[in-house]
Amino acid sequence: MTRVNLNGEEVDVELTKWEFEKVKELLGREPNLTEIGMASVMWSEHCSYKSSRPKLKMFEDAEANYDYVLAGPGQDAGVIDIGDGYCLAFRIESHNHPSAIEPYHGAATGIGGIIRDILCMGVRPIALLDPLRFGSLKDNPHSQWLFKYVVKGIADYGNCTGIPTIGGEVEFDESFESNCLVNVACIGLGSIEDFKHAPSRAYNPGDYVILMGGSTGRDGIHGVTFASRTLTEMSEADRPAVQIGDPFTKKLIIEATLEAVKTGYVRGLKDLGGGGLTCATSELTGDGNTGAKVDLRKVFTREPGMNSYEIMLSESQERMTFIVKPEGLETVLDVFRKFEMNFAVIGRTDDSKILKVFDEKNLVVNIPSKALSESPTFKREEKKPDYLDDLLTQKTPKSSLGLDEIIYRLVASENICSKEWVYRQYDHEVGIRSVVKCGEGDSGVLRIIGTNKFIAASVGVNSKHCFLDPYEGAKGGLVEICGNIIANGAKPMAMVNCCNFGNPEIPESFWYFSQAVEGMNNFCREMRIPIVGGNVSFYNEDDVKKTAIKATPIIMIVGVIEGEDKIITLPFKKAGNDLFLIGETKAELGGSEYHSLIYNLQGGIPPKVNDKKAKATWDFLFDLYENDLVKANHDVNKGGFIITIAEMCFNNNLGAELKLKGCYDENLRDDEFLFSESVGRFIIETDPKDYKIIIKKAEKFGADIKKIGVLIPKPEINIKGLKLKELNLNIKQLKNLYDSTIPNLMEI
Amino acid sequence: MTVKLAVIQFAGSNCDLDTIHVLNNVVDGIEADLVWHNLFKESKYDGVILPGGFAFGDYLRAGIIAAHSPAIDEARVMLDDGRPVIGFCNGFQILTEAQFLPGALLRNDSLKFICKWVNLKVENNTTALSNKMNIRDVLAIPIAHAEGRYYTDNLKELEENNQIVFRYSTENGELTKEANPNGSLENIAGVCNLEQNCVGFMPHPERASEAILSPKRTTHGILFFNSIVEFIKRRIS
Repeated sequence: MTRVNLNGEEVDVELTKWEFEKVKELLGREPNLTEIGMASVMWSEHCSYKSSRPKLKMFEDAEANYDYVLAGPGQDAGVIDIGDGYCLAFRIESHNHPSAIEPYHGAATGIGGIIRDILCMGVRPIALLDPLRFGSLKDNPHSQWLFKYVVKGIADYGNCTGIPTIGGEVEFDESFESNCLVNVACIGLGSIEDFKHAPSRAYNPGDYVILMGGSTGRDGIHGVTFASRTLTEMSEADRPAVQIGDPFTKKLIIEATLEAVKTGYVRGLKDLGGGGLTCATSELTGDGNTGAKVDLRKVFTREPGMNSYEIMLSESQERMTFIVKPEGLETVLDVFRKFEMNFAVIGRTDDSKILKVFDEKNLVVNIPSKALSESPTFKREEKKPDYLDDLLTQKTPKSSLGLDEIIYRLVASENICSKEWVYRQYDHEVGIRSVVKCGEGDSGVLRIIGTNKFIAASVGVNSKHCFLDPYEGAKGGLVEICGNIIANGAKPMAMVNCCNFGNPEIPESFWYFSQAVEGMNNFCREMRIPIVGGNVSFYNEDDVKKTAIKATPIIMIVGVIEGEDKIITLPFKKAGNDLFLIGETKAELGGSEYHSLIYNLQGGIPPKVNDKKAKATWDFLFDLYENDLVKANHDVNKGGFIITIAEMCFNNNLGAELKLKGCYDENLRDDEFLFSESVGRFIIETDPKDYKIIIKKAEKFGADIKKIGVLIPKPEINIKGLKLKELNLNIKQLKNLYDSTIPNLMEI
Repeated sequence: MTVKLAVIQFAGSNCDLDTIHVLNNVVDGIEADLVWHNLFKESKYDGVILPGGFAFGDYLRAGIIAAHSPAIDEARVMLDDGRPVIGFCNGFQILTEAQFLPGALLRNDSLKFICKWVNLKVENNTTALSNKMNIRDVLAIPIAHAEGRYYTDNLKELEENNQIVFRYSTENGELTKEANPNGSLENIAGVCNLEQNCVGFMPHPERASEAILSPKRTTHGILFFNSIVEFIKRRIS
């Protein structure tokens, strides 16, 4: 907050002194209160990306560099051409601050917002995915409360709108205890025609501006400026800044919008999210190089007596703005009437390049339309935190536990165990597209009805790895999330990200962001994966402990599978088949679940990505897929490769006999080999008759591969060839531990 | 012969398009229209399906607002002259609220929404939704609801009149507590009226009609739709 003198009165504004002077300069006069409010919303970190934009510039060339990218960063969603006349739109966004204060409505309106972003591209939302972060659930009623109601908020909203929640990811770590993370992703599917109909800009003078959907109330005023500060004890008082969602109205908005777009008369489309009507009107006209005259009194309000400031800044949910060709006005309004939706023609575009807002006859806002949509940026200081060097040198202590005991504990850890408690509450099948469903694979796989084409999507990152090395951690996240969809047989096509970090004004926090962005950028360029969108959430800090959350650059990857027979699934299929470990295991226990669960240790050396090896592994796998040589595949993730094998045993009553002698570097300890989280590894099941051809192909591509054992028709894992001793693990017991952790913590 | 079915689209229905897809593209012998709830006219159709979803947001109580839609008055004409009136999930909730079917659907005993595949045992194979099945067949089919716990004060009457059409069971057809996903009375998943032309149940046959969507590659959902066709044919002939 800054205190400024406005027309002779002292007022507090959510702008810096410099920004306030900048507004005066742009207008050539003193702004009024409504204009100040609009500027503070549009120039908030949340809307303007003023800290992150200088860094994110490196992502901006996706449309130019990839011919299948139809919309890249800066638009409401990334859009790619997947062939056969179809396009996919997708985006991920954070709703952390509202969810930390009011988990149910915070999460629900997060879903509502991301659905609108996809709808803006003129396509049908067909899937949701939600990466979440909380403090540990154990003995922690606050974390349990947040977790329970965030999941319920997502479920109630997503289920009602008829959009399946097909995937997600949860991590529990104390750094998220008071500042949980709720990231929400949505995928839309449509024809390329539909997408081209309705860009998110008003580029034509003379078109009608229509507001459709829910009414405008006093809820959520200044939600985005609230999201651009650190949460404090005082934040409870910000609860009115959290909006309330209405999934029923949203369902009707989806149907009415898609039907309106089909008429061909909708020339521009924008949702009202953060920043409300201010954001929608100034971005539509600013990006379209037009202006508009809007009459505020046409806006249908929920309560009487709302002033221009409140109407322009309200973040009431479930509203869309349409830019409609004059000749199509009645046709479009008839669609809204059929669905019994509220609507109002609130203005018309013109070529003035100025946004004029009237309150009846009074001109209350008179701002060049680009003034708000193009905000100033800041160059932030960055500095590597001093504590990191010490953390990186931490060694694994000696443990009195046997390796088998450690494995039983790991499989039951919050971060590894089954998330069935979560996904049973999500309708993950509505839409009849879900082919690989929650719990059945590393990613969610959807069919595109009427084709033999499938899409796969996955989200996540490892926050513990990123905490120790954000550059390698972000790259590792990409390897892991790409690995998820590759394990199901899909080729990665594009990426979007959601960067969750601390206060950018603190150099150490900004360093994490800067490093992660560079890691993502370098890896994606190397692998030719376009970055088609992103969202940044700063100010994720624990005000009591004065620490930032662990850096969490969530990554979402979508890919395509050409043909039903090319879908690979996770469970082991047949006794007698071979097991291979692909990729190299290194002594990389830093940030591992093993270190944190068994020793409560955060440090050590975290995984590092070898770009060339990762590429070789992927190319090798795709070649095996081409020749139908892979029966099951699962990428190696938290807990290390032994947990991966256990998860693959859970479904079909099979077990594994592992002979590990010679399968790993002599210098590795047993625990390093078993529990290292080195990225870019996979476990595959193959037919023994194909052994030679697989080895030959691995050589050709330069992929590391070792046969580690065979499948047996008994539910146990026998491990021979370790340095210390042989192990025998009971799969029923592992599965029981894996399944019961979250129900035991939540169902008391 | 092709039978003509209407799938009613209430504000908030969300399995409407899925049901239409299966009726028109997967099952033989049906031509189905998606009809907005206050535009529905019974005279054009041989039968009607109320699909799953959250009609009118399930506000007040699941199904109760939809039960007062003009579409229900039209459907009542069909109910009275013996044409099939069928409800899946939210459609079943609407049919009980409209008192086309006995009983009520309460909040699941877990108090949570549940999305999972269950097994269904056939108890009556003469209704509009089950005449292509055998008694004691066990069918694989998914559920997805928060309010599916069936309850009635007149259990004995329902049993005597053979109005219990489906029950939740194990894979082997045992009616255990574990096989009952939502705490329904006596594992009841679906019931019919006395005339057996109106049937409602909680699961989603439209999600179980194509092998690619099914965990065990079954297509049991088709049997429900084939039963509707058969019922109409028998009624006409």
